[in-house]
Amino acid sequence: MMKIDNSLPLEYANEQNKMNIFGFWIFIGAEVMLFATLFATYFTLEHRVGNGPAGAEIFELTPVLIETLVLLTSSFTIGLAMNAMRLGKKNAMLTFFSITLLLGLVFLGVEIYEFTHYASIGAGLQVSAFTGILLTTLGTHGAHVTVGLFWGLFIIMQVKKHGLTPKTANKSFIFSLYWHFLDIVWIFIFSFIYLKGMM
Amino acid sequence: MSELFPRKQVMGFVFSLVLTAAALTVYFLDLSFMAAMTVLLATAFVQAGVQLVGFMHVGESEDRTMIYMNIFYGVAIALFTIFGTLLILVWDM
Repeated sequence: MMKIDNSLPLEYANEQNKMNIFGFWIFIGAEVMLFATLFATYFTLEHRVGNGPAGAEIFELTPVLIETLVLLTSSFTIGLAMNAMRLGKKNAMLTFFSITLLLGLVFLGVEIYEFTHYASIGAGLQVSAFTGILLTTLGTHGAHVTVGLFWGLFIIMQVKKHGLTPKTANKSFIFSLYWHFLDIVWIFIFSFIYLKGMM
Repeated sequence: MSELFPRKQVMGFVFSLVLTAAALTVYFLDLSFMAAMTVLLATAFVQAGVQLVGFMHVGESEDRTMIYMNIFYGVAIALFTIFGTLLILVWDM
């Protein structure tokens, strides 16, 4: 058992916890680079539409706005879950955590609708350089959300089984960082892919 | 009950909604490309800042200097990559 420092929140309670959180920040730095290369490629290829449609012809405001509001709200609720966790309120924490994952599921549902819609109107992955990089960028973000849903579900199960311990609190906090990061990536997708494309 | 909804986080959420609405003006108003990009860059980066400081608890732990440096480094490399690519492949300079 490692030394527990009770003056700090549970997720920071021992040296291993601090290292885990810092290590995750380094991972987020690498993720920033991953999405930066996707954005760089998107900006290079966005007008290379070949015989396929351009962004302005296929983007729809309503589903994009739903995705944005759902993800923003889920980022808020995972923040509330972390607040409840620091107060030691396990049930409130699990409620906020579950709401977060449900909102993530709604986001994913809308994105799947969006992808099938694009495919049905002739904007599939192989149509042009533009559709290729568009769906790769959106899909990379969507894949991260999908991974997050399973990861979050496993954390909920662990908190239910073991309660709020330095270990489960640390895992939950790291998940919250991941989820907020996905929201930040989405803000940039919303602004520089959708809104820029629809102007 | 109110302790479950801390003021800082509620305000952060409201602010992020306001920023989203502000970004939407580029869709509804007929702005020039430069003006619209300025609005989007401002709203997106402020939004990211709200998430980092308001929700991700940056600056609360004692290793905050290392975390800030890590974020700064990641964002700097991202901007070099994106604007370097734009400079050579899109703006053709």
